[in-house]
Amino acid sequence: MLTKKIVDLIEANALRLSEEIQERLLSHPSTQSYRNIDEQMLHDWIYDVCSRFSYWLEEDKDEGEVAQHYQNLGKDRFEQNFQLPEVISALYLTKRRLWEFIAASREVDSALNLNQIVEASFLLVRFFDHAVMHVTEGFEAMLKNTHGYEATLSNPERLAEAIEAKKEREKLIYEEPKLPTLCFTKGMIRRE
Amino acid sequence: MLIRLIEMIENNAESMAEDLKNKLLSDPATSSYQTLDDKTCYENILEVYSRLGHWLLRDPEKGEVRTHYSDIGAQRFEEGFPLHEIVQALVATKRHIWDTIVEKGIMQTAKELDSAVDFVTYLNRFFDMAIYYTTLGYYGALNFKSPS
Repeated sequence: MLTKKIVDLIEANALRLSEEIQERLLSHPSTQSYRNIDEQMLHDWIYDVCSRFSYWLEEDKDEGEVAQHYQNLGKDRFEQNFQLPEVISALYLTKRRLWEFIAASREVDSALNLNQIVEASFLLVRFFDHAVMHVTEGFEAMLKNTHGYEATLSNPERLAEAIEAKKEREKLIYEEPKLPTLCFTKGMIRRE
Repeated sequence: MLIRLIEMIENNAESMAEDLKNKLLSDPATSSYQTLDDKTCYENILEVYSRLGHWLLRDPEKGEVRTHYSDIGAQRFEEGFPLHEIVQALVATKRHIWDTIVEKGIMQTAKELDSAVDFVTYLNRFFDMAIYYTTLGYYGALNFKSPS
């Protein structure tokens, strides 16, 4: 794996990175609710991502543990009265700090080549894309359980109706215009 | 070189938008997009790809990015889209850009790879904010309508 060296660097600096990310979450205006939760718990969550980065980046975790872990995180944060945009912002602030670290590492360690950095960025982005997606699913599940809210198009019957309505709309748009029938009668054109 | 990457996407915007539209309309993970008119879906994607430089090279934490994506979030809420499908569609929009750059094979030299690192930074900064503000708009509309 090209990126092993970068991943090892992140894991070796996990404690420092966790502290920096925690500081950002506690001071950023888009993540204010994080000031209300136990700092040790927050630190442990960030440290878990940074210190086991190679574990989280493994490709076959897409549908398995990442999904479960982040759906549960979404449900937990919902119960803690967080707003979903805050949780998403926290994930992005975490990703941004890790990306800054990766991008800067090429200046510190010349043995790291740009291919490694580009590949690491791909894995980092993919991991956080999945995390954001599953946190959102967790929140949506809690909205359904606690408030009975479900997006209309989550219902297969409503979805099928809406797709049918769209087909009707598009049929109207694309239907060939009906031209009047023309009859020729001794040099005259008569409209029928 | 960063500008070259942006221009490459802008110059291929129409075919890329068509490809992604077809993908979104056939992918079960974004099934609610099948309810959007094909033309609307295409134009929404084209808006990002054909003006990528406009979106990427401005501060995404304020101004147009905020307004545009908050409005989209609120609009999709009204249309009954599940939020995770909207997130999925935005992620797919971003990924299609990256896949196109990789496919075109323009990351061979050190200079090109160096620009790719910058490009990734701008691309992610923009899409992170687009997803964040879409969620904010969606949740703003949801809180207003919430029965609780």
